[in-house]
Amino acid sequence: MSAVQPSDELPGKRAVDEPRGGPTVLRIMLGNQLRRLREAGGITPDEAGYEIRGSRSKISRIEHGRVGFKERDVADLLTLYGVTDEQLRASMLTLARQANTPGWWAKYSDILSDWFEPYLGLETAASLIRNFELQFVHGLFQTEDYARAVTVLGYGPSATDEIERRVSLRMRRQKVLDGADPPRVWFVIDEAALRRPIGGRQVMRAQLKHLLEATALPHVTIQVVPFRRGGHAAAGGSFTILRFAAPDLPDVVYLEHLTSALYLDDRRDVDHYMEVMNRLSAEAHTPVATTRFLKEIIQEL
Amino acid sequence: MTSEGTPDPEPRDSTPPPGYDAATTIDTSVAHVARVYDYWLGGKDNFAADRLAGDQAIQAYPDIVYSVRANRAFLARTVRYLAREAGIRQFLDIGTGIPTANNTHEVAQSAAPGSSVVYVDNDPVVLTHARALLVSGEQGHTSYIDADLRDTGRILAEAARTLDFSRPVAIMLMAILQHIDDAEDPYAIVGALLAAVPSGSYLVISHPAADLAAQQMAQMAERLNKLMAEKVTFRTEPQVARFFEGLDLVEPGIVRVQQWRPDTEMEAKSPGALWGGMGRKA
Repeated sequence: MSAVQPSDELPGKRAVDEPRGGPTVLRIMLGNQLRRLREAGGITPDEAGYEIRGSRSKISRIEHGRVGFKERDVADLLTLYGVTDEQLRASMLTLARQANTPGWWAKYSDILSDWFEPYLGLETAASLIRNFELQFVHGLFQTEDYARAVTVLGYGPSATDEIERRVSLRMRRQKVLDGADPPRVWFVIDEAALRRPIGGRQVMRAQLKHLLEATALPHVTIQVVPFRRGGHAAAGGSFTILRFAAPDLPDVVYLEHLTSALYLDDRRDVDHYMEVMNRLSAEAHTPVATTRFLKEIIQEL
Repeated sequence: MTSEGTPDPEPRDSTPPPGYDAATTIDTSVAHVARVYDYWLGGKDNFAADRLAGDQAIQAYPDIVYSVRANRAFLARTVRYLAREAGIRQFLDIGTGIPTANNTHEVAQSAAPGSSVVYVDNDPVVLTHARALLVSGEQGHTSYIDADLRDTGRILAEAARTLDFSRPVAIMLMAILQHIDDAEDPYAIVGALLAAVPSGSYLVISHPAADLAAQQMAQMAERLNKLMAEKVTFRTEPQVARFFEGLDLVEPGIVRVQQWRPDTEMEAKSPGALWGGMGRKA
């Protein structure tokens, strides 16, 4: 019965500042999940440790996402916890695999920061991505030229090779939208992000046209918050909410800063961001009005 | 005005009504039916108060989680029947809920491209989702009205911008009439809707039962009425049948929703305590 979810026992805010070593958040999520299932089954850490030929401290490390997972351990634990639902087992084992195996982004490890890498894992795994963006067009819809301009803004123009690597990573990320089962993408964009001519008028015009084309995709919903609907609900700035198909995996809120990021999966935090996201979406133009609005902005540019 | 099959060059936009202020109307501190329902369906668009009310209800009547799934499946089967076998191309779906799989317009427009669907709900979270996500492809029209079921005059006036009321319309009232208590005369509300549609139109209703799993359902109603913004009145089979007075009932008549033309035997046997039926206006 998927509607019954233990809700208020997850650890709270946590900045991901651990040393390099795999998609941290995936581990944390899976660890959380394993702990909830163990507790729901009334099984002690000692008993669980014994099952996987380890100790209670090994269970503790696993449940806190501090170590990688052996698939066999996860499978044995799920069995011990009475998890027979094939879909849930499969999605948890997939997560365990993703948490261990290097993602497609591994070859970009030289330019990836520890705090951003988990986001790529989550974005790749999400079934729904909701985003509010104040400053820039979201990375999933950036053109190469626009991405280059944004990257130069962020990292300075000096290291050309590195800039190109970053642009290429961003283009690679967009493949998630072309897959057989792409995530539903629901983005709310502040008008400011569309008016600021990043990279110059030509680049910006091409970027806006690209965004306009994206609005026609069936799994893409884009809404612009116009200036005249000022005072919108996101005083805190840009944020992303990622949702996963498995019913028992909680939504994750992603907040990016200049040198770090925050991943929130505490239900109270997520609820709050979800409320703000809903308000923003209610204040924003509808998707239909947004396409008209985009055309106007392109005209005026 | 709508002409079937002709895409509107400028799709109508469901903008909030004048004076609408989402920031002040989205109240997540009290449980709301659409979000509680989402919780029962295993959705994630619900908040703490909704989950609390949802859990209280589950404790009283654990099969509620199957009931709501059976209700969604009933919606899909009735819409498919109407589009494929009854030739209906216009749907007025009141009590939309938070969009999930197999929304009315998706079922209708896949069975009969060119179908028009008007959704009506009064929950601001539903409004948010509906404005953004309940858009139809080029084969039909979909619009959304932010209104209360009790306001039939406004619903009919606004729906007339998308639906042609000189042609048959299917009125869908899925698990919503329980929020109208007897003092507010739900029969008059349904009567007002039916009076606006021509002969050949259909009425589809599902309604939580007072006479199935009666004790559990009564306990669930009591708990929901303490916690939810919208109160509930569950009804008996004869009370539900009364909504269809004067209409020709489509076989098999008023039955448990899972037994209305089920696709599989397993579906027919799933638990659930809602009465459902479909009637045709002669």
